[in-house]
Amino acid sequence: MLLAAIHMENLTKSYDGKIIALNRLNLDIPQGGIFGFLGPNGAGKTTTVKLLTGLLKPTEGVCTVFDMSPQEKPCDVHRICGVMTETARMYGQMTGRQNLQFFAQTAGMDGPESDQRADELLKSLDLWDARDRKLSEYSTGMTQRLSLARSLVHRPGVLFLDEPTSGLDPESAQTVNAMILSLARNTGVTVFLCTHQLRYAQDLCDGYGILEKGNLLAAGDLPTLCKNIGCRIRAEFRLAPGQSPEGLQKAGEWWRTEVRDEDEMPGLVRKLIDSGHDLYEARLVKPTLEDVYFEYTERREVSK
Amino acid sequence: MKLLTLPEQAVVKKDFGEIWSTKMVRNTMILVPVIMAVFLPILYLVLICFVPSNQINGADQMMKLLPKEAAGFNAQQSMFYLMTNMICPMFFLMIPLMSSSVSAACSFVGEKERSTIETLLLTPLSVKSIFKAKVLGCILLSAITTAISFVAFAIVISVGDIILQMPFFLNWNWLILVLLLAPAITVFGVVFMVLVSGRSKSYMESIQTSGYIVLPLILLFVGQFTGLFQLSALLLLFAAAVVVVADFLLWLFASRLFTPEKLLK
Ligand SMILES: Nc1ncnc2c1ncn2[C@@H]1O[C@H](COP(=O)(O)OP(=O)(O)OP(=O)(O)O)[C@@H](O)[C@H]1O
Ligand SMILES: [Mg+2]
Repeated sequence: MLLAAIHMENLTKSYDGKIIALNRLNLDIPQGGIFGFLGPNGAGKTTTVKLLTGLLKPTEGVCTVFDMSPQEKPCDVHRICGVMTETARMYGQMTGRQNLQFFAQTAGMDGPESDQRADELLKSLDLWDARDRKLSEYSTGMTQRLSLARSLVHRPGVLFLDEPTSGLDPESAQTVNAMILSLARNTGVTVFLCTHQLRYAQDLCDGYGILEKGNLLAAGDLPTLCKNIGCRIRAEFRLAPGQSPEGLQKAGEWWRTEVRDEDEMPGLVRKLIDSGHDLYEARLVKPTLEDVYFEYTERREVSK
Repeated sequence: MKLLTLPEQAVVKKDFGEIWSTKMVRNTMILVPVIMAVFLPILYLVLICFVPSNQINGADQMMKLLPKEAAGFNAQQSMFYLMTNMICPMFFLMIPLMSSSVSAACSFVGEKERSTIETLLLTPLSVKSIFKAKVLGCILLSAITTAISFVAFAIVISVGDIILQMPFFLNWNWLILVLLLAPAITVFGVVFMVLVSGRSKSYMESIQTSGYIVLPLILLFVGQFTGLFQLSALLLLFAAAVVVVADFLLWLFASRLFTPEKLLK
């Protein structure tokens, strides 16, 4: 088995002793790949990132990044971690390039090396034209991309990204997502991605964790999550108007039923045609991450 | 052994840039020394040279404050001696104190205010290195300011001494003041500001707080004119020792308060 890149055991955090921001989190994230950490506002995602990067001390429990405790050895952890959070700003009176050069130097690079690394990142994140403008003159999206560049400056093995694409236009979001994907696929970087954008998450992530009010509701890849909550594949059919087949529910123009797997489809189609229905269209609808996410968060509300 | 590693030097350089680009701080760091070390002494010298001494109010009383070494001075010489040895030393405590606390406010509180400290804490630099680099950077900057001010001041006073045909102004008092007390005060200003930075939300607020520590200094010097005591080398040496001890304790205290959890509150 691969070494777990990120390990959390009973991780608990309370800021003021009353509200528990994170409640007994147990989670192992394997090396390589992108892990999507999902949850509504105030779920505790940022808190988790801050614990994993040593900015906060857990109230209870432990966490490690590549077997190192971020609380005990913050420098070693920071050397292999790139972190991007909304609250970690850069220096407004310096240019984008100077900012990157500075952070490259804090990671131990000398002058020429840091210049080269800064230029490389500015080009790959589409900031080359704005390189000599002050950061205070950057737009939200540009600042965001520079933050991502900063988190990559020392070629980290683990990336913690807290909503990297919030506030980006679709085009930039795509650039950023493509970059994250290529980092994970080509260089084996482990990515811990907190996000609300479920659609993007589904395209990017290999595994997910769903967090709500500090509690981990579920973790695993999409098929596992589907199975555990009972989200099935749906077979949907569009028939001639007025026809009402047996055993199917109507949903708009479509008639649908849940199936265990795809292999049931040909049988269903055959049965419909044999029973004299006029079939215009047939499709299989796989549950999306969005469906699964809402299923989990709603089920939780119902059980309460 | 190098005092600062390369990454720490980068932090110092970055802090210098940040301090320089903050207008209020830059103006304070330039204006205060220029006024205290150059403008006021020149103004005073011109007054002494051109205004007949019998028209200066209270000149007689001031003469009584003169120590033995100034016994044979005429009125103009005495006035100049008084200024050089009783008023100006105060300036050379205020210059290091102001420049160190203002630069520390910018470097510590400013960074917290603009929430860039979190980013800095996420770098591979340890909290200790960051603390060290920042404190040393402020001390260095303030030491440079004080040194330049003193050179400029020495030139002005020397010119005055030559015009008024007096002996060179530098004495033990001045040496102890500039070489021991001023550096100790510089460190005090920085470390005190780091402590205050935990509480204050904006750097303007913390600069105001630092104003309170200037007050005792002014009182000390006003005290001289009441004739209660006079600055002597021994007294200054004692003051330097007290400040050094305070520096040491505050440093220990401040470095303990400098943790991610406290900084990000
Ligand atoms: N500095 C703080 N002091 C006190 N409570 C805090 C602090 N930061 C966060 N919290 C609380 O901890 C809980 C989790 O917050 P957190 O920022 O981790 O949520 P999040 O999942 O990142 O939300 P979002 O999606 O809005 O970014 C919230 O209830 C929040 O009020
Ligand atoms: Mg958050």
